[in-house]
Formats: sequence, structure tokens, C-alpha cells
Amino acid sequence: MESQRNWKALVVRQAQATGAGDLPRHTIDELAAHLEDIYADALKAGRTEADAYRAAEAALLESAAALPTVPRPRTRRPDARPPQEIAAGGRITGIGGDLRFAWRQWKRSPSFAAVAILTLGLGAGAATAIFSIVDTVLLRPLPFREPDRLVTIWETNAEKGLPRERLSPVNFMDYRATQSAFSDAAAWWRPEINLAEPRLEPIRVSTIETSANLFDLLGVSTQLGPGFPQQGPFNSRDLIAVISDRLWRQRYSADPSVIGKPIEVNNGSYTIAGVMPPRFNFPDDVDLWLRLSWDYTLHSRGAHFTEAVARLQPGITVEQAARELEQVSARLAGQAPSTNGGWIARPIPLLDDMLGYYRPALIVLLAAVGLVLLTACLNVAGLLLARATARAREMAVRAALGASRARLVRQMLLESLLLAGAGTAAGAVAAIALLKGAIALLPASVPRLAQTTVDVRLLVFALAVVASTALVFGLVPALVTASARASEALKDSTRTSTGVRGHRISRVLVVAEVALACAVLVASALLVRSVTRMMNAPTGIIADGVVTATLQLENAKYPAWANVEQFYALMLEAVRRQPGIEAAGLSTAIVLQPGWRIPVAVDGRPAPRPEEAPIVQHVSVSSGYFETFRVRLLDGRLLQDSDTATAEPVIVVNETLAKRLFPGESTVGKRLISTAQQIGPLGRNLMFTSREVQSVPFRIVGVVSDVHQAPIGQAAEPVLYHSQRQFPFRAMTVVARGQDTATVVTGIRQALRGIDSAVALSNVRTMEERLITATAAPRLLTGVLVTFAVLTGLLAAIGVYGLLAWTVNERRRELAIRLALGAQPLAVARLVAVHGLALTAGGILLGLGGAQLAGGLLQDVLFQTRTTDVLAMSGAAALLIGAAVLACIAPARRAARVAPVEGMREC
Amino acid sequence: MQSRRAIDEAKKGSAEVVILAIVEREAQHGYQISKLIELRTGGSLTFTLASLYATLYRLEDRGWIKGRWVEKAGQRRRCYYRITEAGRKVLAEQREDWSRFVAALGQVAGVKYA
Repeated sequence: MESQRNWKALVVRQAQATGAGDLPRHTIDELAAHLEDIYADALKAGRTEADAYRAAEAALLESAAALPTVPRPRTRRPDARPPQEIAAGGRITGIGGDLRFAWRQWKRSPSFAAVAILTLGLGAGAATAIFSIVDTVLLRPLPFREPDRLVTIWETNAEKGLPRERLSPVNFMDYRATQSAFSDAAAWWRPEINLAEPRLEPIRVSTIETSANLFDLLGVSTQLGPGFPQQGPFNSRDLIAVISDRLWRQRYSADPSVIGKPIEVNNGSYTIAGVMPPRFNFPDDVDLWLRLSWDYTLHSRGAHFTEAVARLQPGITVEQAARELEQVSARLAGQAPSTNGGWIARPIPLLDDMLGYYRPALIVLLAAVGLVLLTACLNVAGLLLARATARAREMAVRAALGASRARLVRQMLLESLLLAGAGTAAGAVAAIALLKGAIALLPASVPRLAQTTVDVRLLVFALAVVASTALVFGLVPALVTASARASEALKDSTRTSTGVRGHRISRVLVVAEVALACAVLVASALLVRSVTRMMNAPTGIIADGVVTATLQLENAKYPAWANVEQFYALMLEAVRRQPGIEAAGLSTAIVLQPGWRIPVAVDGRPAPRPEEAPIVQHVSVSSGYFETFRVRLLDGRLLQDSDTATAEPVIVVNETLAKRLFPGESTVGKRLISTAQQIGPLGRNLMFTSREVQSVPFRIVGVVSDVHQAPIGQAAEPVLYHSQRQFPFRAMTVVARGQDTATVVTGIRQALRGIDSAVALSNVRTMEERLITATAAPRLLTGVLVTFAVLTGLLAAIGVYGLLAWTVNERRRELAIRLALGAQPLAVARLVAVHGLALTAGGILLGLGGAQLAGGLLQDVLFQTRTTDVLAMSGAAALLIGAAVLACIAPARRAARVAPVEGMREC
Repeated sequence: MQSRRAIDEAKKGSAEVVILAIVEREAQHGYQISKLIELRTGGSLTFTLASLYATLYRLEDRGWIKGRWVEKAGQRRRCYYRITEAGRKVLAEQREDWSRFVAALGQVAGVKYA
């Protein structure tokens, strides 16, 4: 037994002396047994013990130099586990052992592995989630027949700064007649509709009254019932309706016998003619489609309230249709300059129009997430490269000890594969989680968003990008190292070609990362500026404590306009009596909503040419409306309860109107001549005592400060405010202010119940909520982009840190010599920091340039903000420099603390 | 000197076939194999310790031989190598190659088959 230990010890000692390192146990056993046999044979042959020992020792020494070539990694008994080694021919075996080794390698540097996997996972996950949304929302064709030929038509008026207005129904009929451009066109408007049926709760439903050809034109049929008659008349007195799948299921319990039954809406009884298929939501979340019951040509060219969709003739492009419409618009402007001067109809591809702001927003997001993915890949590439260079020495030693090049490459390949595998798994999980989060966060108004699922093809693509990054950048250094002469690497790894080349690639990677991060940061900074401007855009009101809700009276119940006016007067009185309500009023269009745009004339001035007649927004409000929103009275008085149909016709105007029509004059006391006798079926001007009266002069009794009656971003327009008692509407928005908005809501409900409990109150929201909703999309986009920006910024900082830390490690010897020769530690630290900051600066310059190149993309989502915004650019640059400085600190300190001797010893 | 070098060259190529032939009939452990080679080649072919085991492991890796540890009471455990089916095939092929090579050598250079 004693000799056993001796033989083994001899083998182990010899193996270590020759650099073969730890031989596997079974190899030691075999060699020891062999030596013992030589010794025993020598004894048998009559030699002395010392002689026999020398013979065995000689056998070992003879082959000592070749000991490292004895294949090594078997640690178990060969019969228990068949030996698996790579054969000379390159057969891939022994994956298990190598995998375990790779796993140990990663376990040894868990923070490196965690950063790499997290980076890859987040990059791939975010990219897949956003790509999936963009694919579903933007790229997939709409579920209509030949959706590419569908356009919406809007009217624009550059003179008035109105980019996208609804159509006048009369104009629409002219556009529809342009058969060279359109094979057909359908138009609708949005009446306020309550469903009031016996035994069922009265509810407000989103409704359009549409020309009968809408479904034909889209190429969509009902799932139940005949629908609107095909090839039937454009409008008909025969009242029929089609309901949504949702309404059918919720209100009628999916009862198939609902077809042919009557449905009671506030302006009459319709017959249900069909149920649309699930998910059909055109033009948006509509539950009730009423067939058009009146003649569009009998309305006014000045009233813009219909929306339209048209099908292009085969072979006609949107541009050709636009030219045709321009010609029609020009002709109409010639014929009816007072209403049509300056108005031009424009077709917009349906999908573009449905997406509106979300289209440029999603494209910006797509670009940003692409940059995030790219940054993530660059980051991991940089990390792997640094690591590979750091391991060059290890590789060289292993190569010198007999590991073949294939063997080393395979090892690196496995390590990279393991990383790529973990990264892709993290990516898949992140994609699903991020998509769920995004759908929950994005406003429901984004078309088709709910249909988005993780697209497997996209996921595979993103994961492939990630995996190939990990593989390529894990493997390339291995190949380079393996081919480099081992002895060279052993001498000094910092001087090998790998080291120099690795540094250069890493520097490029870091600069690119900083540039990308800078571009994303600039974009998000611009959006932050834009959204801030938007939120701070003057609305002209004080929204604190104000609750808004809309009311709609049924035609059948309130047939006479006098009743309508009366109802609202009573309602208002009741609301004001409620505890906790300080002020209350009514309006047809509250802040951010435009009123009816109708031309007016100034009494006592020569009648202007019709095309020069000023167009003024008409809004009907009650007493108390301005007080509720704390709108300032600049001159005269506000509207009062006494401004009734039997009193003098009066109006209040806004500051813009006063300045535009009466510059330098006193406005109060002047009269404006209105021709607005009736707004379709919606409202009636009671001051027009009979149908024959064509115009009525209204005396201006007050001037109020501007309330922004248009979407955020549009210029202020002249507005006149009628008294609700003189110009009543069936649908009004009630506004009320109090200390506690919940109490105010209760108060409004209480008041309404006391007057008519059958009237539905809808859209109950605080004014602040409404204002926030108005900026929801840009704020959301900003939120996502800022997240991306922080992510890329962080990645870039990690990149800078990684490079510097690695460089300091590699340059220890040089730094040590500098320190030994008397360099101040601070100067050495500065050397390192300057290196990092120079790279950052280069990246920032590139990034700022890149952001400018992408400016066109950004401009569409910005509000009163230029892409050259200095504050945004300098902010982004400052943030990055800050991050880079932080990233430089640790490596610089380490550099300053290199002990001169320690550095020297390393060579 | 000339013959010495020829033998050296031949040794490299023939080492594997020799080992295969040694373990063809019976499983042998490393020391036995080295003794048998010495014996059968009349001492003209010898392995150093490292090259013997390197070759054994290489053959085992290729699946031409298979080692099996055997423990006997009071003795050090030893690994006995035996030829596998794959090894037999290789041995047969190599034998043929070698005979052809030696025959060709004989015709050209007048070397006689021993």
C-alpha cells in the first residue's frame, strides 16, 4: 500500500513538473500501475530495490515531456462512462463535459452573464413586442374587400388653419358624383342616441346614421339578418338599423329572433335588419348603424359634420383622386364662395386615416426599439469581445497543453450557445410580458391593438438576431485566438494581434452604442418637450373641480324646441340647488371641441363678397357656463337666464373675434348677422321666428377671453356664444364645479332624476381627465420612448465602463511603468477618463447627427417643437456625458491605484 | 542509420495497428501490452509511457478498443483493453493495406516480407 502512494505521487509530481497539470485519476492509476509493474519485474529479474525504482522512474522521465499529450478530461472510470474525446477527425463528442465546463465558466462570472442575458432578453423582448404591435396595427391589411382602394375624405381649409374637418353633406354628394375617381362613396354622421326600450335600462349607444351603401362599399356582410338592402336607395324614410355583435350579445342575449324586431331610439322606432360580425368596428367602436333617413343635398354647405369613406376606381391612385377632388372643390368654391371658399377636399388612405397619430408614433417606436435591439447586441458583442481578449492567455495555455483548435473553438461555441440560449429564453419571456403590458397601457382607441399577439415569426427573427450576436462575437475571438500563435499569446497577451484588433473593434462598438443611445435620448427629450408644451398649451379655462357629462333628449319625448330649452333650464336650476355644487352651466361644445363654423356678417357694414365673409364658430351655452370654467369677462356682461326666446337676440363673443372683426373699436353693442337658422336635426335657432326669416342680427353683449375650441395645436378661432335659451340643442354637455368632484357627480345625477329619470347621463368625466385624455397618445409615446432611452443610455454606459475596465486591466503594465517613473496617480486616472470621455463625445456627435437625419420621422409626432431643439439635444448629450463620467470613475480609480511593482510583475 | 529511420517512420503509422493486433485475441492491460509489443517486435518497436497511453486513449476514443477496470483482492486495479467490432474492421483493413504496402515496397525496393 505504501508503494501505491509512492507511485501515484511520483506520477502526479512529474505531471505537474512538466506542465501537464492535473491528470485524470484513472490515468494516474494506470501510469502508477505500469510503473509498479516495471519495478516488480525488475525485482524479479534480480535487481536491487533502488535499481528497480530507478528503472521505473526512468520510464516515467523518458516520456515526461509527452505527458501533457495524454488525453485528459476523463475523470471517471472508463467502463462507467465511455471515454468521449474529440477525435482527430473533428467528430463532435463530449458535448456534455464541455457544456458543464461552459456552465462553470458562466457561474464563475455571474454578473457578466446576468448583464449579457438581461441585455439580450430585454432587447429581443422589447423589439418583438413592438414589432408585433406594428405588424398587427400598421402592416396587416384591413379586414375589408380590397382595402387598398378605400380612402376617407376630409375637408381642409388652409386659410383658417383647419387641417382635417368633417364634410358638409351637400359637398359630399358632389364628391360622390366624381365617378372618374370613385366607384362609390358612403357618408355618415354621429347622432347622440339613447336606446329606450320597455323593460330595458335606457342606455347611450355609439351610433352613426349612414348612407345605406356603407357595408357594400366596405365589402362586409352581416352575420345575421339581411342588413341594409343591396343596391337600395342612398337614404330612405323606411327606418332600419344594424347592430353590433357586442350590443346583440349584451342587450339581446344573442337572440337570433331579434331580426325584424323594433328598436326604440330617441328619434323614432327602427327595425333591426342585421347583426354585424364580431370585431367589425367601423368607423370605430360603433354599436348601432342607422340607415340614413334624410336627403344630404337638403342641408347646408357651411355645416361640416359628416364623415365619408370612398372606394377608388380600379387603377386610380390616391393622388389622382386628390386632384379630382381639388377640381370639384374649386368649382364649388366658385359656385358657393360664402361657404366653400378656401375649402379643399382631400382623400386619405383609410388605414393611414384610422391610425392618425398612431402611425407616425408607431414608426418612431419601431425605429427606437430597433435601436434598442441594436444597442443591446453591440453591448453584448463588446462584453464578449472584452471577455475573449481577457481569456486569450487562458486559451493560449490550453492550446500549448495540447488542446486542438477545434476543441477550443468548440468550447467557446458552447459558452456562446449557452449565453444565446439563456438570452433567447429571456427574450421570449420578455416579449410576452412586454406585449401584455403594452396592450394594457396603450389606449383602446389604437385600431386592432387588442388583436395583437406575439408574432412567432418576429420572435424567431429577434431571437435569431440576438443568438447570432452572441454566437458571432463569442466565436470570432475564439477563432482569432486559436489561430494566433500560442507562444505569442503566452509571452504577453496584451501585445498580440488579438489584443490590438479587439481593442479597435471594441472602441467602434462603444462609439456606436453611445451614438444610438444619443439618438434615442434626443428623440425622447424632444417628445418630453413636445408633451410638456402640449400639456401647458393654454386652454382658456380653469379645469379644477369641474365635472362634465353629456345629455341627450329624445325627439319623441321632446318634439318641440321650446320643451328642449325648458328641460335644460329646469335641469340647470336643479343642478345648482344640489349641495356641494358651486357653479353649473351647459354648452354644445366645451374646451378642445370646435363649434359649428358658419359665416356671419357685421350689421351696418357693406355686405362682404361671400368668400370674404368671416367664418365664426357657433356655440350655444347657458348662463353659468363661463363662470364654471372661470373664463374671464373682458367687456360687457355674460349670458343670463333672462336671455330667452322672447327677449332680445344676444350673443357673447371671444377675444379673437373682437380683435379680428372690431380692431380698435368697442365690440359690445355691435351686431352680428347670423344665417344659422338650424343645425340639421340637432339644434334650432328660436330667434328665427319663421322659416322665411333668412337672417337675424344678434347684439354682442359681452367679450370673454379665448377658450380653446379646437384640438390642441390649432390656432385660436373667432367664436360666438349663443344663449341656450335662444338657440337650444337636444344634446348638451353639462359642466359643474365643486370642491369634491364625486359630490358634483352625485349632484348632477340627483338633479336629473328629479326632472326626467329616463334621460341617460353619459361621458361623466372630470375636465382634468378630458384634458389628460386629449394628450394621452403623445404622453404614452413619450413614456415608452423615455423608457427606451434610459435603457439604451444604460447599455451605452455599461459599454463605456466595460471597455475602460478592460483597458485598464490590459494596460496595467504600462500604467505601472508610468507610475514607477513618477507619474501622478491623478494623471493616470485622467488618462483613462479622457479615453472614455473622448469615445463618448464621438458617439454623441454621431448620435446628434443621426437624430437630425431622422428628424423627418420625428416631426410628425412633435407639437410646436423642432427636431433641432437645443435644449433637447444638449439635455441628451449632458445625460450621456454624465453617465459616461460615472462609468469612468471606477476604472480611473483602479488605474490610479495600480501598484507599480504589481504591474511590473505581470510581465 | 538508414534502417533506424525507416523503422521510426514505420513505428508511427504502425503503432495503432500493432496495439489492435495485441488486444485482438485477449484483453490486456497497459504494461502487458508494452511487454507484448516489445516481445513480438523483437524490441525494435517500443513505446514510452506517455505515447503508449496516449495511443490507447486515442484508440478508445475512436471506439476501436474498450477499457475495463478490473479490481482483484490485494492488487492494484488495472484497466484491461479489448478490441471492439469497429476495431476489428479497422485492423482487417489496416492489415490489408500494410501487406499491400509491404508487397509494393518489396517489388520496388527489394524488401522481403519478413
